[in-house]
Amino acid sequence: MILEAKNVEYAYKSQKERKVLDNISVRFEEKKFYTIIGASGAGKTTLLSLLAGLDSPTGGTVLYEGEDILTKGLNYHRKNHVSLVFQEYNLIDYLTTEENVKLGGIDQPEELLSKVNIPQEAWKRNVMKLSGGQQQRVAIARALASNAKVLLADEPTGNLDEQTAEGIIELLKRTAHELGKCVIVVTHSKYLANEADEIVQIRNGMIDL
Amino acid sequence: MKGFSLAWRSVIRKPVKSVLLFVTVFTISLLLLSGLSSGKATIQMQDHTRQAIGAGLLLEENEADRHRRIDVLAGQLDHEEGSLGGYHQEKITINGVENWRTWTDNSFETLLVEDIEIIAGTEGIDDYNITTVTTAARPIDFIRIEDEDVDQYSDLGGVSLIGNKDMSMDSNFLSGNAFITDGRMIQEGEKDVCVISSELADKNQLEIGSIIRFGKCGNIEDSMTYEAEVVGIYQVNQPIAPYMYGDTYRSENIIFTDLDFPEKVDGKAGDPLYEKAYFKIADVKEYENVKLKVMEADIAWERYDLIDNNGNMNTLSANFNEMEKYSRVLVWVISGASLVILFLIFQFWMKSRNREIGIMLSMGTSKIQILAQIMTEAFMIAAVAVLISFLAAPGVSDLTADYLVEQQIQSMEEQDLLDEGKVAFSYEKSEQNVVGVQAEITSGMLIQDAAGMALLIAISVCVSGIAIMKRNPRDILQAL
Repeated sequence: MILEAKNVEYAYKSQKERKVLDNISVRFEEKKFYTIIGASGAGKTTLLSLLAGLDSPTGGTVLYEGEDILTKGLNYHRKNHVSLVFQEYNLIDYLTTEENVKLGGIDQPEELLSKVNIPQEAWKRNVMKLSGGQQQRVAIARALASNAKVLLADEPTGNLDEQTAEGIIELLKRTAHELGKCVIVVTHSKYLANEADEIVQIRNGMIDL
Repeated sequence: MKGFSLAWRSVIRKPVKSVLLFVTVFTISLLLLSGLSSGKATIQMQDHTRQAIGAGLLLEENEADRHRRIDVLAGQLDHEEGSLGGYHQEKITINGVENWRTWTDNSFETLLVEDIEIIAGTEGIDDYNITTVTTAARPIDFIRIEDEDVDQYSDLGGVSLIGNKDMSMDSNFLSGNAFITDGRMIQEGEKDVCVISSELADKNQLEIGSIIRFGKCGNIEDSMTYEAEVVGIYQVNQPIAPYMYGDTYRSENIIFTDLDFPEKVDGKAGDPLYEKAYFKIADVKEYENVKLKVMEADIAWERYDLIDNNGNMNTLSANFNEMEKYSRVLVWVISGASLVILFLIFQFWMKSRNREIGIMLSMGTSKIQILAQIMTEAFMIAAVAVLISFLAAPGVSDLTADYLVEQQIQSMEEQDLLDEGKVAFSYEKSEQNVVGVQAEITSGMLIQDAAGMALLIAISVCVSGIAIMKRNPRDILQAL
């Protein structure tokens, strides 16, 4: 078990009585591809944010390899334990493809870019000039560039056409199974959900067993 | 990728924000430098009433600095009776009303001998003379020249003594207006000797070798008298301009003495009041070079006017009406306005880079590191802008100083109009014209400017960064 949410609760400061997540406990293991599904507003993205250390729960703990992520700090957790992929790709607009991947923490991004099928002529191009699918691949390459054992993705195929989305899903699966990472994806896509090794369903802020 | 290379790429590849900051910092730096240099500008003036004669330079006290020194000392005494640096103040009660009486003594008013000697030691200065202030003295055993038609009630009833270190360099003799008709001039180092006008000699049947006696003016009870031997008799082509109104100061009653005699007669032996110093330049062809060397002498120049043979003199802005004060205000106004403008620019930077900040936070970059990167970018742009502003500063500074001088002249003229008929001066005001302004940029100003810009940028970035510091990464990413 690499990552665990233990009795996690979350409520917005402005609405403390309304819990977005209520006593959620879930465990994630390496080499597995997880999807978190649920209706809009169910708390999927909130759970992912807490697992990523973008925010801290109002109750319960998030554990990485059995240790509370707050012990070493959320910055440390984000930097060393997890990497993130977003629906909006979130690449830095003034950097080239290569430079965006280098931000992940490697000096030689060529191998990774080849692995995620980015053509060589696009490596030195400004990343904003790439197609949506290519940009998401670059975002995944950047996530893979870090040594983090957990890859978290929020609707990674949400902005992509079906064919491109399939390619991304395949890439995420390979990341889990071939690279041995724990991949956790929040999605609305039934197709993507069905590709997962395990599905975590959230309903009204609670795990639907 | 290291923060510095990321910052460099951002500066180069996001030109709009970079150019915006560059132009702003360039302008602010230029204005700051202009303000700083205007405050230390040299105003070249020409005085039509005071000129050094021949190949010489004249040193006199600066009137504006005198007033400022009085203000400083009065401030230090802080409404207490006492004395400080030759300035005295005491409370007096007149008709039951408490008033302050303030006065200065010779130690406050005199040209400093040590400063005169420093200038005299400048290469190219051949010799020098010191002239005392015109000092009234009571004639004991001779009669002065008087205008019989004038009521002498308000006059001191005395004669004027002018002491010189070397009489041959006194302005009246150097100009050729006064000349010896009998006897000789007073030699340097002589004691208790004098040179009188031919009119005084005739009226009193005085001749070379006669001894005349003086007492302290205005104090008939004072029994101390001082003797001086007449060693020369002079005549003038044109009457010597009187120091003040009244027969005490009329040309015929002026008696030239050795340097120490006037202070003795005035009861202030050892406490002289030197009004002028004249420096004779050895080689007239080197006049301008020697003048420049003299101006480099390490003395408190704000205390003096150095006047050349055309009546030209350099006045520091500190002594030019309120120019230094206005320059200081200008620097503060620019700094305040700059802080607001820079803050708004960095707010714009932060807002337009929300996505980048969110991405960096999601990758574990700390908020401090993000702020440091933005600060690095700002400093990179600012460094170039400030360096370029250094190149443009001399021209702009001169223009600013010119403008401030014009404003000051206008304000002085307006004040003169207001004072017309209300303020009486016991002395004749000199006529001075501004002939040029030189705002020099010193290395100290460049350092001040660069440090000021760095401080303004650091404060602006930090204040603008508060918005980021307060938000958590999730809120920033959700806002995208």
